[in-house]
Amino acid sequence: MTHVQRTLAASVLSAALILAASSAWAQSGSGWLMYGGDYANTRYSSLNQIDTSNVGRLRVAWMRSLGTLESQEATPIVVGDMMYVSTSTGPRYVFAFNAKDGAVKWKYEPELPTDFAATVCCGLDSRGVAYANGKVFVTRLDAKMVALDANTGKELWSVTVVDYKVGHAITSPPVVYKNLVVTGYAGGEYGVRGAVQAYNQNTGELVWKTYTIPAAGEPGNDTWKGDAWKTGGGSTWYVGSYDPTLNLLYWGTSNAGPWGGHTRSTDSSQYGQYTNLHTASQLAFDGDTGKLVWAYQMTPADVWDYDAVNEAVLADLNLGGQTTPALMKADRNGFFYVLNRQNGRLLSAEPFVHVNWAKGIDTATGRPVEDPEKRPQLDRWARNVCPNLFGGKNWEPMSYSQQTGLVYIPTFNLCMDIAGKNEAYNPGKFYLASEFDLDKADSGGFLSELKAWDPVKRAAVWGIKEDLPFMGGVMSTAGGLVFYGNQRGELKAVDAKTGRVLWTFNVGTGILQSPTTYMIDGRQYVAVVAGRVKGPPSFLGKIGQKVIDASPEGGLVVVFELAN
Amino acid sequence: MSWRRALSLHAGALAAVLCLAAPTADAQNPAGPIANPFEGRADVIDEGRSLFNQYCAHCHGTNAHQGERPRDLRRLKLRYGSQAPRIFYEAVSNGRLEKGMPVWKSVLGEDMLWRIFTFLETVQTPP
Repeated sequence: MTHVQRTLAASVLSAALILAASSAWAQSGSGWLMYGGDYANTRYSSLNQIDTSNVGRLRVAWMRSLGTLESQEATPIVVGDMMYVSTSTGPRYVFAFNAKDGAVKWKYEPELPTDFAATVCCGLDSRGVAYANGKVFVTRLDAKMVALDANTGKELWSVTVVDYKVGHAITSPPVVYKNLVVTGYAGGEYGVRGAVQAYNQNTGELVWKTYTIPAAGEPGNDTWKGDAWKTGGGSTWYVGSYDPTLNLLYWGTSNAGPWGGHTRSTDSSQYGQYTNLHTASQLAFDGDTGKLVWAYQMTPADVWDYDAVNEAVLADLNLGGQTTPALMKADRNGFFYVLNRQNGRLLSAEPFVHVNWAKGIDTATGRPVEDPEKRPQLDRWARNVCPNLFGGKNWEPMSYSQQTGLVYIPTFNLCMDIAGKNEAYNPGKFYLASEFDLDKADSGGFLSELKAWDPVKRAAVWGIKEDLPFMGGVMSTAGGLVFYGNQRGELKAVDAKTGRVLWTFNVGTGILQSPTTYMIDGRQYVAVVAGRVKGPPSFLGKIGQKVIDASPEGGLVVVFELAN
Repeated sequence: MSWRRALSLHAGALAAVLCLAAPTADAQNPAGPIANPFEGRADVIDEGRSLFNQYCAHCHGTNAHQGERPRDLRRLKLRYGSQAPRIFYEAVSNGRLEKGMPVWKSVLGEDMLWRIFTFLETVQTPP
C-alpha cells in the first residue's frame, strides 16, 4: 500500500469512527476497530451474513499459534484487512496478521525485564491493543506503553506509565480518541493509588493524569482514615468507554486496598464518612482535560474485592417512554446498574445473580443496604458471602445487542468465606490484609451462567448454565446470534432470542475472551483467541483444579467462515 | 522416613550443596542444614494453614489445592524429597522472580515461613 493509500485508508477509518461513534450505540461496521467493538463497549456487530439459519455451516478458515501459554485474553482487532493481536506473558508478541488468510505481516517482540511477573497479581495477560491514525498502541506488564507503526510494527515511541516494581502493571488496551491515547493500570492488590493517564498519540507526551483517590486537601480525601489513601487501590486495570457527543470518558475503579477494611475505614457497616472515594466506583472524566465530571460509588468501604472496573456499556434506552442516555454495568458486587451517563444519576440497580451481602440498593442514596453479618472484619469471618470476590461478573465482557435490546452477561455462581487480617504494607508485595476461602459453589449445581438480561424490564430472559466458572466474554450480532466460549475450549453460537445452542466447536484450549467478527471482500469471519485461564483458578482451591483440568493451556487465534 | 531423618542422614552432602548453591541461606543458618523447627508440631498446623491462605493461596491454591503442577506445593516431597525444606526456604526467602515468585523475606519472617511449611507437610501427595 502506498503512502497516499495509507493516508486515505486512515482518513476513511477516522470518518468511520466518527460516524459510528455519533450513533446512540457505536457500531464496528465491517471491522472490529477496538477492544469492545466500539466506544460504547457493546460488542455488538451489525454484520448478518452469518445468522441463525446458516451458523451450523461455520468451519475453520485459518488458525495461528500465539506462541505463549499463559491465559490468553486478547480481543483481536481488525482494521481494513489487518488483524492485530497481542499474546500473554508481557505481551511476548504482538502479531499483525492478514485477516483473510492469517499471513503474518509483522511481529513485535518487546524487550521486557526478567522480573515483571513477580508483581502481577492474577495472570500474565494482555487484553489486546488499540489502533488509531496508522498506529498500534501496546500496553505492557512492565507498565510501559508503546506506539508502533501499524504498517511495519516498528516502535515509534515508548513511555513508562508507572513503575512496575511497586506492583503496577497494564493488562488492558488503551482508549484512543481525538489525538489522545488513554490508559489506566493495575495494582489494587499491591497498595497502589489508581489513576487514568492521557498521552499524545504522536509523541507519547503526557497530556493529563487524574488520580482516582483524592490527595490530602482535595475534596473526598476525608473519606479515608489517616494516610490510608496513599495505598488505597482504586486502580484502573480494565477498559474505558467514550461518548464523543458528551466528550465524556468513562472508567471504573478497582477494590479499595488492602482488602481488609480495618486499615482505612471503621471496619463495620456503619462506615460513616469513611467510604474510601473513589474506589469501587464508576467515574466520568472530561475527555480533553481529564477533570472528574461525576462519580458513582457502587461499593462504599469495600471489603469484598468488589472492583467496579467492569466495562461501562453505553446505550440509549427507552425508560418510561423517554430515550435516556444510559450507562450499564454488571458490577462485581452482583447488581446490574443503569446510570444516566450524562450526570451519573442512578436509574436502576437490580441483582443479576444471587446476592446476599446486601438486601438491595437504596435508590434515594444509591448505597447498598448491607447485611452486617456478611461484612468481614479484622479477625472475624463473614461466611458464605455471595457473590464471591470474582463477582457476579468479572472482566470477561458482556454484550448489548441493538437487535434484541438484551445484554448477554457471563456470570459466576460462587460464594466465599472472608476475614480481615493484620498485615504490613511492603512496596511490590501482595497487600491484602485478608484471608479467604473461595472454594464454595452457590446452589443450583452450576458454577457459571450466560444470562440474557433485559436492562429496561430489569429481569433475566433466559440462561445457559455451565459446570465450570470463567466462562468467556460475549459477542452479539445482527445475525440474531450470541457467541461465547468456555474453559473446555468450546466455542458456542446461540440464538440471541431463545438461548438455544445452534453450533459448537472445540478449539482445544479454554476461551476467556469474546470472539470478534468482521467482513472482507463480502465474506464474514468470526475470530476467537483461545488459551485456558491459568492464574485466577488458584483462588478457588478444588474448584480451581477442575478448571485447570478442563483443557490444556494454549495460545491460538482461530478464524471461522461459512462453508461454501 | 521423615524429612528430618533424611536431612540428618545426608547432612554432610547437604552441607556441601548448601555451600555451593545457597550461600545466603547457609549464612543465616551457620549451625547446620536448613530444617523446620516446628517439625511434627500439630499445634502450629492451623496457624500455618491460615498464613498460607493469607499469603500464598492466590497463586498456590486455597488450602494448597492447585491444578497447575509447577505451583502445586503438595508435591514438594515427591519432587524434592529430603531437599524439600531447603528448597522451600530458599524459594520463599529469595523468590524466583522470572517465574513470578516474589521475594518474601521482608514480609514472612522465618517463624511464619516454617509455620506455613508445617501445614504443607500435612497435605503432601503420597508417592
